[in-house]
Amino acid sequence: MSPSAGARILVVDDEPAIRRAVRTNLHAHGFDVETAETAAEALERFEHLRPDLIVLDLNLPEPTGLDVIRHVRERGSTPIIVLSVRDAERDKVAALDLGADDYVTKPFGADELLARIRVALRHLARPPRGADSVFRTGDLRVDLERREVTSGGRPVRLTPTEYELLKAFIAHPDRVLTDRMLLQQVWGADYGDESHYLHVYVARLRKKVEDDPQRPRYLITEPGVGYRLLLADE
Amino acid sequence: MPGLSHINNVSMLYLPAVLLAAVRLGRGPAIAASLLSFLAFDFFFVDPRFQFGVGNPSEWASLILLLFTAIVAGQVAADQQARASDARAREREAIVLYDVLRLMTEPDLEPSLRAVAERLRAELDLAAVAVELRDERTPRRFVAGDEPALHRLGPGLASRVLSSGRAPTAAQRAGPGRWVRVIPANAAPGVPAQAGFASVPILGDGTQLGSLQLLARADRAFAPADDRLLTAAAAQLGTAIVRARLRRDAAENEALRRTDELKSALLDAVSHDLRTPLASILAAASSLRQRDVTWSDDERAEFLASIEDEARRLDRLVGNLLDLSRIEAGALRPQVGWYDAGALVDDVLGRLRHVTAQHRISLHIPEDLPPVPLDYVEIDQVLSNLIENAAKYAPASTTIDVTLRRADDGLRFEVRDEGPGIEPAEEPELFASFHPMPRKAIRSASGIGLGLAVAKRLVEAHGGRIWFERPNDGGARFIFVLPLAIAA
Repeated sequence: MSPSAGARILVVDDEPAIRRAVRTNLHAHGFDVETAETAAEALERFEHLRPDLIVLDLNLPEPTGLDVIRHVRERGSTPIIVLSVRDAERDKVAALDLGADDYVTKPFGADELLARIRVALRHLARPPRGADSVFRTGDLRVDLERREVTSGGRPVRLTPTEYELLKAFIAHPDRVLTDRMLLQQVWGADYGDESHYLHVYVARLRKKVEDDPQRPRYLITEPGVGYRLLLADE
Repeated sequence: MPGLSHINNVSMLYLPAVLLAAVRLGRGPAIAASLLSFLAFDFFFVDPRFQFGVGNPSEWASLILLLFTAIVAGQVAADQQARASDARAREREAIVLYDVLRLMTEPDLEPSLRAVAERLRAELDLAAVAVELRDERTPRRFVAGDEPALHRLGPGLASRVLSSGRAPTAAQRAGPGRWVRVIPANAAPGVPAQAGFASVPILGDGTQLGSLQLLARADRAFAPADDRLLTAAAAQLGTAIVRARLRRDAAENEALRRTDELKSALLDAVSHDLRTPLASILAAASSLRQRDVTWSDDERAEFLASIEDEARRLDRLVGNLLDLSRIEAGALRPQVGWYDAGALVDDVLGRLRHVTAQHRISLHIPEDLPPVPLDYVEIDQVLSNLIENAAKYAPASTTIDVTLRRADDGLRFEVRDEGPGIEPAEEPELFASFHPMPRKAIRSASGIGLGLAVAKRLVEAHGGRIWFERPNDGGARFIFVLPLAIAA
């Protein structure tokens, strides 16, 4: 049995066929699954069941999926994985900015959804990073206390902004971070629309920490949405 | 002094003649009349009579007084008259300009220009009037007047350039076709040289937009007052044309914007509608392929049923889309045959049993229904769309009523659900295809919009009609009637 088994997942989608397929699948993988058809029902279930994770279709009739995210975020940090139809990048960004943790594009394969659910639950199980002053993934090692970055054993020299950007990624490994979130964390609250700054710095950071900046292993682009620091499989 | 009073009395006879000349003929003739009366008076009434000259010097004073009075009265009367006729001219001008303005507020430029040409022609009693616009791709003219007069007014701009040998302007060259400079041996002198012809440039936005060309009736010429009126009218036209073009540009932009909006709304709706069943299919199929789970027979059957149902749904959607595009292209012809409507309903419900699995179906089909002429596939699609919508919008375990009944105008099909019904605001657009809707509405209405739009077109292709009713006790009822005779 996988370590995340037994977690309670609330699946919110107005399509009965999707609900059925996802429920059957997650159930077979050992999860405790509840479903809801509308946003109102989802909020009611959320209050009663306190699920460990929510899989949420954004495209619900009023109130919408975004309203659900807002409500859930007012009450805590329950991971939310958003389901959305492809080409709706703006919706995804809005959902992530509101505090959703990840998104899966419809149509999706069962494995993809399962993988995202496992990642989100893993974060939940892991203690907050503050205590741990050395971050490691693959060849990349960042000593947050001594501000030392090494890639494959050789030291990497980063400018202060590049270092801040890397730190922002390390604070939320494996999570999709929208351009706006990254800009505000690194450049400050007044920023948000200057995505080109961010693209330039991500490109520089990749040149320094990636083996092949054209095919990054760590700093992955989420097209139209933002970036994600991908953790290497251990 | 008997002589003086004598002169004064008789002089009264001359003053009306002077005034008459002033009023009728103006300032100069009034002076001439004054001088003439002065001389006549001297000749006939002042001694020595019948010769010019004054015997009694005291009579000079009377004569000079007479002349002075005649001239002053004549000038005052002529002035008054000039002012009155000027006022009349200005009033006419104001009326004509107001008419031009009013005619130009019509939404379409072309009929307005034609009306303006006719109005000017009638007002000035001209033989022909043309409004020529030259900065469009192709110069256009709007004319008023009879054929021969128009012919005398001269050819349009293009042929005038050919005959006069003047090079076309850049704007003209930008038009379609090729400009060739040809100077014929008998190049006619420009028509404007003709008497009784006037051409007034129409200016607007700092460029010449065209010209106002006028031809007076035979042996008539233009008066200065006419010139002033025409210049003012041309100025008015210029402003109005510029405004009309701006308005047209704005309307075109608006139309483009709406088309764009419509297209993206359509794409949004279609991509959502197509991807939704695809998502279910992919989720079920990829689940079945997973190797880390052993599926029970029931679970396997459920996934497979889901794949099958959703694939059928996808097929219906694609069918609707194709139908709609065929309908919009006008390529829809029902293949009509005589069918039992009850059997058709049974067929549709059988095929949709997975769709309606969560609902109760209540059927009302009388035994004695006559056969109906219909295209089986198309009416199957209409009923499927209505029943699918009912199942989609009415909550689970409510009842969907399907009723067939004979009506005066044919066979009546009714599908009634116990769902939330239709908002009155949505009702007018219910059967429209792909009307742009606010984003949040697209989701709930895309499927229904497409299905109903197709249903309406198909029913109408059968000579029937379809409508929506709001039952008193809630829900929605869609009704269509098919005629029992084959439509001609």
